[in-house]
Amino acid sequence: MSEQVRIPYVAREKELKDLYLPMVAPEDRPQTALELLGEMLKYKRSLKLYLDVCTHCGACAEQCHSYLGTKDPYNMPVARVDLVRRVYKQVFASGPSFLRTWDGAKAIDQETIDLWYKYFHQCNQCRRCAIFCPKGIDTAEVTIAMRELLAHLGMPSRFHAGIAKNMAKTGNNMGNPLPAVLDGIEFLEEELKEETGLDIPIPVDKEGAEVLFNPSSSDLYVNTDGFMAVAKIFYKAGVSWTLSSKITETANFGLFFHEPSMREHSRLLVQAGKELGVKRLVAGECGHGWRTWRMFTETINGPLPFPVVHLFEEVLGYLRDGRIKFDKSMNPEVVTYHDPCNYARAGDLINQPRELLSACVQNFVEMTPTKELSFCCGGGSGILMDEAMKIREALAQPKAECVRSTGAEILCAPCAICKAQLPDVLEHHKVDVTVKGLSDLMGRALIL
Amino acid sequence: MADLNVNGVFIPLDEDGFLEDSDLWNEEVALALALTEDVEELTEEHWHLINYLRDYYAKFGVAPMIRKLCKETGFNLKKIYELFPGGPAKGACKVAGLMKPTGCV
Ligand code: SF4
Ligand code: SF4
Repeated sequence: MSEQVRIPYVAREKELKDLYLPMVAPEDRPQTALELLGEMLKYKRSLKLYLDVCTHCGACAEQCHSYLGTKDPYNMPVARVDLVRRVYKQVFASGPSFLRTWDGAKAIDQETIDLWYKYFHQCNQCRRCAIFCPKGIDTAEVTIAMRELLAHLGMPSRFHAGIAKNMAKTGNNMGNPLPAVLDGIEFLEEELKEETGLDIPIPVDKEGAEVLFNPSSSDLYVNTDGFMAVAKIFYKAGVSWTLSSKITETANFGLFFHEPSMREHSRLLVQAGKELGVKRLVAGECGHGWRTWRMFTETINGPLPFPVVHLFEEVLGYLRDGRIKFDKSMNPEVVTYHDPCNYARAGDLINQPRELLSACVQNFVEMTPTKELSFCCGGGSGILMDEAMKIREALAQPKAECVRSTGAEILCAPCAICKAQLPDVLEHHKVDVTVKGLSDLMGRALIL
Repeated sequence: MADLNVNGVFIPLDEDGFLEDSDLWNEEVALALALTEDVEELTEEHWHLINYLRDYYAKFGVAPMIRKLCKETGFNLKKIYELFPGGPAKGACKVAGLMKPTGCV
């Protein structure tokens, strides 16, 4: 990558205010950073462990698409974490101090903080390195912690802070006010009628519905085929469902950089489900959103009176019970599958989408590597900023080669971030493929 | 990004070239914004799209969903990219003085 590559913009005062984050003067940042790191080490035992146990064996380096795509040595997982480790060794680690200096310890300065900002925004929190590390170090966890620390230094990215602000104000990341959301839904009901000739409802705030479906707001902006497919599937399966007017967002950006936003997002959905008295929450296509629902919601917002299930688990149930059927011939193209990192490495969703795919497409081919070894799309952890397009293209390079090798015509990538990232970057890498969600493909094949 | 010079009046833009204050939009501003998007001239078709976006924005405070934009203007996505090479969100919305759609888009 050239020197001109732009890194994500840092948040301005107005975005910080909205999230109750402080402005920290540059000269105060090193000291504040040390205090924050000290606090974090007390309650994040995993962070302390990861900083302690690395043997610098190097097994992670070639497994990180960020390093493979950018060729920047700081993007090796071990080197990325060393940016923190060197401060940790100097200030916090136990043992005699001469050993620490020998170990590469370094006092913290503004340059270190700038390196943190730069390189913790080139880690997609994809967790692939963790699979290969003999010590089980999960660099994604370090990145999450360090972005949180940066946020409290007044340095979250502008993109992430703006999205968290939108979520807090409107219940969706795009910042769409309720009248706009309802207008869009009404329009899609008309579209469904025109397409199928049937009255397929998209209910909002229907009390006592069995399912509260939580889409990504991008499903109501660009990925409308997938959203309409979900409405058709519920209709055909005869399931009573509803959206909530309070939250139309499954993509929980708080997970990437700001725990209070993450908790509040989860709380909002759980509360909506309780108020409507539903039996299940069903999460739409979104990788990290799913990771949050599956891994953290019960712990943080529980105990929950209902389960949170993924759309694919829900629809697979209908398929196995014979409540819906697909006509594969509607999807005759060669289709390959991109495992969203947070499904395959953090959310227990590997076989379910494959079972659905083999039921609804004619020619499914696996990619190499695949499943839990799959490479990230390069947009993971919300690296979707326009200004960082050069970085995004580099991060996507290993995935682009994997997709190219399959020769597929359709790339099924069932995650809102992947769907936003892949079309642009694959075009850059000259891979000729159409990106679709799994819902889109199921919608095409569904026998109504 | 540098401010937009509209006949000697400077209108502030954000780093991505969108208006900082959408109230400062007018047709002259649109012409100047179009030039930043490599659109040399605003034809009747451009205005048809811009006016739809502005009406929707006045009513709802955001851009319409892409599918609705296509349906109600009668332009498919390919046509919109022909008119505004930056596409509906980053090209057309910019020239119409709307905020940049954000999120997983
Ligand atoms: S594989 Fe694990 S132990 Fe080895 S260098 Fe990487 S992080 Fe350290
Ligand atoms: S989590 Fe992914 S992007 Fe981050 S260091 Fe590990 S392999 Fe690289």
